[in-house]
This record gives sequence, C-alpha cells and structure tokens, in this order.
Amino acid sequence: MKHAVEAALRFPTRGAPRTFFAATLAALSVTAAVFDRASAQTAFTLPAPPFELPLLPPASGNWTVMIGAEGRYRPDFAGANHSLFSPVPIFSIRRAGSVDRFRSPRDNPSIALIDFGDLRAGPAGKFVSSRKASSHSELNGLGDVKSAFELGGFIEYFFVDWFRVRNETRQGFGGHQGVVSDFSADFIVPVTRAITVSAGPRFTWQSTKAVSPYFGVDTVQAMATGLPAFDARGGAHSAGVGAQVKYRINPQWEVHSYIEYDRLLGDAAKSPLVTARGSVNQTTVGIGASYSFDFKIR
Amino acid sequence: MVILFCIPIAILAVLSTGAHALFETRDAKLKSVKTVGIVSAIGDQFTLTKAGLTGPNNSPRTVPIASWGLDDLIVQQVAEALSIRFQVQPVTYPRATFATPQESAMTAVNLVRGDRFKKLVQTEVSPQGLDAYIVITKAKANFSGNRKVEGVGLIAYSAVLESFRLLHALYEIRVVDGKTFDIIEKFAAGPLDEASSVRLPGPSLVIDASFDERDENLRRAIVDLVIRSLPNTLSDMHLVNRKP
Repeated sequence: MKHAVEAALRFPTRGAPRTFFAATLAALSVTAAVFDRASAQTAFTLPAPPFELPLLPPASGNWTVMIGAEGRYRPDFAGANHSLFSPVPIFSIRRAGSVDRFRSPRDNPSIALIDFGDLRAGPAGKFVSSRKASSHSELNGLGDVKSAFELGGFIEYFFVDWFRVRNETRQGFGGHQGVVSDFSADFIVPVTRAITVSAGPRFTWQSTKAVSPYFGVDTVQAMATGLPAFDARGGAHSAGVGAQVKYRINPQWEVHSYIEYDRLLGDAAKSPLVTARGSVNQTTVGIGASYSFDFKIR
Repeated sequence: MVILFCIPIAILAVLSTGAHALFETRDAKLKSVKTVGIVSAIGDQFTLTKAGLTGPNNSPRTVPIASWGLDDLIVQQVAEALSIRFQVQPVTYPRATFATPQESAMTAVNLVRGDRFKKLVQTEVSPQGLDAYIVITKAKANFSGNRKVEGVGLIAYSAVLESFRLLHALYEIRVVDGKTFDIIEKFAAGPLDEASSVRLPGPSLVIDASFDERDENLRRAIVDLVIRSLPNTLSDMHLVNRKP
C-alpha cells in the first residue's frame, strides 16, 4: 500500500442544492487561482506528524491532491424514463507523481490490499441514495426506499496494459439487503500522452433482495398505484456499454467526459414500474474537470 | 455531503496551522546523531519496461549496470553533503542483499513483516555501533495503470499517435538508529521540479533521444537525475540545511 495510500471520493449528490455545485466550482476556481503558478512544483509544506501509526508507511513525502467537479445527467431513479442533472465533487489524494490509475465511471471507491500490478483486489463500497416517492409522480403510492450502503470487494485484472476486466460484488445494507455484482471490461487506448479513450461492455447481476425493493409491486402498492402486482426476482439485471475520454491539458488540469448505457434485463425490465411508467434504456452522461496540486509533508 | 467534502480540506488546514513543534520528536533524535554510515544499493540493474499499447509478452528486461559505479557515486555525494553536520564513517555491506526487493503483493503481509532494512542493518552492516545509518534503496512506483517500476530504468511508452521514453531513478532514504535499529526517518525522493505531462513519484525525465542501454549518455542522464535530486531529498529529511 506504499503508493496506494489513495482515497478517491466521488459522491453522487442527486437532488443536492445547486448552491453546493456552485460552491464547489467557486472553490475550484479559487484554488486554481491560488495555485496557478504552482505548476508541478510543491504548493505548500505541512509538518510531518510527530508519530507514525504502526504498520503504516510514514506520511513524509510529496503528495498530490486532486479536486474537481463533475456534472452527471442520469435517470431520476432506477428504471425512470427521464433524467436529472446532479453535481458530483471529485477529491483524491495520492503520492506525488503517482499516475492516477485507470478508473471507469462504474468503479466505486476501493482500496487494493492485494496488488500484483496486473491483478488487484480489495474492499469496495457504494452508496445508493434513497428513492422518495414524493419526488417523482411515477412513484406515487410505491412508498420510499431508504438509502443503502453496499459493501464488498473488487478484483480486476489487466491482460495487457490496454485491456482490463473488473468485478465488484457487494452486499447491501439499509434500503436493500441483496447482493449486487457488477462486471465490466475496458479497452484503454492512449491516443497521445495526454488523451486516453476507453470503452467496453458492462453487465450487472442482482439477487432478489436487491431487485425487489426497487422493481417489485406488492398488493398494497398495486392498489395505491393502479399498477399490477409484480414479484420481482433476481438474476441478470442489466447489460450495456460505456465509453470515456480523458484529456490532461497540463500537469494540473484534466477534463473528462463519459457515457454509460444500460438496458434493463430480467424482472427489472418486466416490472410494471418500467413497462408502464419508465424505460428499460438507462443512459448516464457525465462531464467534469479537475485540478491537481502538490504539497509536501516533511 | 458537504461535510464529507470538507473533511480533507479541514485536515490540511489544521495540519498547516499545527505546531511546528511537531517536528521536535524526530529532530531530537537526529540531534543526538554524531556518527553515520552510508549504505547505497540502487544501482545494480537497469530495467527496460514497455508500457501503453504493448503486446502480451512485455515483461520488463533488466541489464546489469554495476560497472556504472552509481552506488559509489551516491555514497560519495551523500557523504560530502552530510559531512558538514555529521561524522561520516565508511561501512561495508553486501550490496546485493540490500538491492533485492522482497516486498509482498499483499499489503497485510508487508505490514506484519515490518521494515526489513532494520534487520539488514543490524546483521549485515559493519561496523556496528554508529549513531545512525543512512540507507538508500530502490523505490517503487505505479505507471500506466498496472505497471510497477522501481529503481533505475527506462519506460518506453507507446500511444496511438506518439511514443516517448521516460528515464527514472526512483530511490528512498532511511535513517536507521544505530542502537535501536528503529527507522528515524524514511523519505522517497520526489519528482524534479520541472513541469511534465508525464510524471513518476520520483526523479524522472521524459527523453526524446533513443538510447542504447549501454550508452554513456544514458549513464550521464541517470547520474544527473540522482545528483540533482539528492540535495532536496536530504534537505527534506532535515539531514542538511535547505539551500537558499
């Protein structure tokens, strides 16, 4: 974990106030102005802590902080036929100069506890925001689904530098108690040293307990909504493709954009919520920018 | 959500305003050091790595470069820099033992195993009894997502529209207590100050020229990387005074 002392946080903030997004952009602008002259040089120096945590590498050294913001346009809820724009802050910290590892938009926060280079594995987690029936007319009568935390693990393997396969399997807590397993493959093509394009197929499997809260319609809900009762079961949940392009303008600035398309499968696609009021076609589009600067702990 | 976003910023702010007295523990240990020995073991091999758009058979290739005398040069340079503050004494050690990486791919194993150089200094360096030992060894870095590079070498990177070569001299320095064999300080040499679109977490340089691995210019370029990075690294470790 010497060079993997890295935390990448991308918090989806569906429905968050626009002021927050504005504040994020403002903070980004201010930081960019402050560190505009920093180039790749160290922006500031912090004192090293007087102690070292046992078993962990010392914090001394050069570090790179990345901050940014992303605008994400995605379905209002799983199965919806219209989308909503939401802001997502970007923050990561890593050893200076460490190349930011390839990340697909589907990758959730994870830490590689096993790292052979080509093969990496470790814990992974995801936050699934709540689904409020009052927020969308299509959901009237279905009731709310609480937020869920999904905790599990990931494993990824690079067959060659430009082809990666990854699986994340997570157990849900809270809004659903099911198991979700995401499979993805990405062809990662460096066009120049600054531009990288990646794309590949996706597939998701979900257990009944993961599908049911979002796509099932019980008798009470059926009476309240006019939808037929439906017992949603697990299985193949979705299949799709995704593509991403990243452009590193200079050592500090990077912009990226992506599109992810999923077609719901199985009982998720057959759910009355989807067939009568939603869509099996789920598309997410994102565009963002980030700024990196170095600091030193000594 | 805002709170989560602000936590890292708050930590940075607290640390930056935090007392410089925090240095005192580590500095106090260094103040009591009078005699030091220097161990260097980064210059036994030169690694050639292909990255980017490569074929399936792209394992790194190594070339022996002990004849370059890189470690002797480093010992000489470090001794010269430290002699202002410390009494530098010559030491003998099996260079190959210090140069052999034994890091596990499993983080937990490395954490439990601890720093192997403590034991090596205790058992393999002669004479014992100095106040501290300065140990310079290879550092590792990730490149191109899944590539791990270490020590001295060259990365040949291929993209669709261009290719380039990245020369690197990745090393880290430990200060090992000569009595307790605890690590007083450990620091990896950082990137050089030049802004570059491609960077490693250590001294590195994008080069356009094509080198043969036994080319004298290649040796000169590596020596230049090491010599330019050493003063800043030693200064960051509080071993020498910062240059104005």
